[in-house]
Amino acid sequence: MSYKKLLQENNNKDLAESFVFPVKLSAKRQKSAELQLAEARQRARDKMTDAEKLTARLMGLKFRMEDYFRAEKPNNEYSFGYFLKLYIELLNMKRRRLAEEIGIDETLLSQLINQRRMPPDYIPIRLELHSNNSIPAEYWFRIIERDREGAMLLNKAAMRKKEMKYVTGGISVHL
Amino acid sequence: MAIIEVATGKKLKASIALLANADFKQIAKKRYFFDWKKERGVSDLFKLTLQGESEILGLLALIDFPREFRVEIRLLCVSRENQGKDKKYEGIAGHLIAFAGRVAISKYFEQACISLLRKTELRNHYKVKYGFMDGGPQLFLEGPRLYELIKKYLS
Repeated sequence: MSYKKLLQENNNKDLAESFVFPVKLSAKRQKSAELQLAEARQRARDKMTDAEKLTARLMGLKFRMEDYFRAEKPNNEYSFGYFLKLYIELLNMKRRRLAEEIGIDETLLSQLINQRRMPPDYIPIRLELHSNNSIPAEYWFRIIERDREGAMLLNKAAMRKKEMKYVTGGISVHL
Repeated sequence: MAIIEVATGKKLKASIALLANADFKQIAKKRYFFDWKKERGVSDLFKLTLQGESEILGLLALIDFPREFRVEIRLLCVSRENQGKDKKYEGIAGHLIAFAGRVAISKYFEQACISLLRKTELRNHYKVKYGFMDGGPQLFLEGPRLYELIKKYLS
């Protein structure tokens, strides 16, 4: 069915609620369209308040976290440390200040960012409180779980070899 | 806002995922209007289904413009039985547009923008229904209007 036929059979409202159609522009019109869009966006951006910008940053962080812990497989690009570092960057904060505001030593914060230490259970709770509940503690806990799953998968053979010497008995049934 | 089953008013959860090669078997032009196979390699393609089900209710093609912090909705289509006044489910296109916004915000944070090249006769409807703003031949959505759309459809 062609677009013209669709137009004859449907009203515009129904079409807009069902389709985005491809539109071809000439090179000249394309160039002019890009300029018009850039100008209109600039005007819209000039009106954005700091609170609205922060909202976008927190939303973006939350979506990235969701994508990481909901993905079928762990993604090595991301980790608790990555998201903690991003949280600090998005707030335009110094590490020292965040450490103070959540009541931990700056050294511990660095260890968490650099993945040298597992986050204690109170860290996700304090981060939730710090973010005014924007990033729930559950999200941080799920990130930690995902990291552990990723590490287990990555070092599967080595971890089993290491623990083998401690297991001296076992059951005979195998599922 | 969930997907609404029009006959019963029941709210249903939707799921949006990347389109897999195997999905093309169930994507006929008669039901999804465009030739979606042609979009492979050109756009990022996504499908909307009800959670736990495999039937595709809507399709979306996105193109990323990283230098402009913008994601363009190149194509969108709701399955034929969900178009017009006799539609089975309500809210499919809204979910897909909000999803495009989610993609943009997770990449570009406060600079995120989604846009579409509009057919002149549909322009006002996109603006009224989804909050799009005029940007010449393109309509765009960014800032608080975009956040509201995402909250409305994806929360």
